[in-house]
Amino acid sequence: MAEINQIDGIMVVTLSGELDNLEANKIRSTISSSIFTGKIRGIVWDLSRLGFMDSAGIGLILGRMRDLAPYNGETIILNPSATMEKIFSFSGLGPNIRRGSVDSVIGEIGGVLYEK
Amino acid sequence: MRNEMTLSFVAIEENEALARMAMTCFITPLDPTLEEISEFKTIVSEAVTNAIIHGYNCDGKSLVTIHAVIDDNKIIMTVEDQGEGIFDVEQAMEPMFTTKPLLERSGMGFTIMESFSDSLSVESMLGSGTVVRFEKTFSPVTEVSRMR
Ligand SMILES: Nc1ncnc2c1ncn2[C@@H]1O[C@H](COP(=O)(O)OP(=O)(O)OP(=O)(O)O)[C@@H](O)[C@H]1O
Ligand SMILES: [Mg+2]
Repeated sequence: MAEINQIDGIMVVTLSGELDNLEANKIRSTISSSIFTGKIRGIVWDLSRLGFMDSAGIGLILGRMRDLAPYNGETIILNPSATMEKIFSFSGLGPNIRRGSVDSVIGEIGGVLYEK
Repeated sequence: MRNEMTLSFVAIEENEALARMAMTCFITPLDPTLEEISEFKTIVSEAVTNAIIHGYNCDGKSLVTIHAVIDDNKIIMTVEDQGEGIFDVEQAMEPMFTTKPLLERSGMGFTIMESFSDSLSVESMLGSGTVVRFEKTFSPVTEVSRMR
């Protein structure tokens, strides 16, 4: 399941349950259209409550990074499990991983963009 | 311990979760660590998803078959389809290689399967199908804690 919230131009996607091929196909268009209509400048993927993810999760996140590219949007992957962290680092997404609270990473994106 | 099973299901995406669940139950008696379970589950998911979407294009009628043997602390598993087959296995196994970029596949499936298993081999023939074979040895939780 995906719960989408917007805070000050930053989209927080909170995922729970199992993110596989079937689930990615269910939530992809909702997340994509929120990016285009919401003038989004960054996404935080909160994985704290996600129980399972396979390569479909990589496809979903890389796809939304492409959606965000025209806006120079940042992507942050928050609190993945140890297994998910390995999958992200195989895929070159290691540098996007953070640990901590949603508030602290929103501050980080806000800060980064403010300085630009 | 020795055990053996076969599971066949039609090629629809809903069966990816079925396969993950069934195979996780099958290895539970080996008392694997949580991380071993989630790595194993990911391997199953990648192989079964490939058979369903690449092998059969989600046709809803052809069968994917998983066969697994537990031999002591080791599982030997094959995931088989009689679908499209792979044009060039070596190329298919390269990280980021995918023939379905429009479906937002990332081409990381084989890389993940290779990293999370002890050994992986792929046999495939265009037009007649694909067999992916894995081995993974688990370290029982009780044994790990006894060693400490
Ligand atoms: N069972 C199969 N039958 C036919 N082709 C396959 C099969 N498994 C894999 N392939 C081919 O190998 C390629 C690479 O597979 P891999 O799992 O690494 O990536 P992917 O499935 O394309 O993307 P991802 O797994 O990251 O979502 C696929 O794009 C497909 O062309
Ligand atoms: Mg795949």
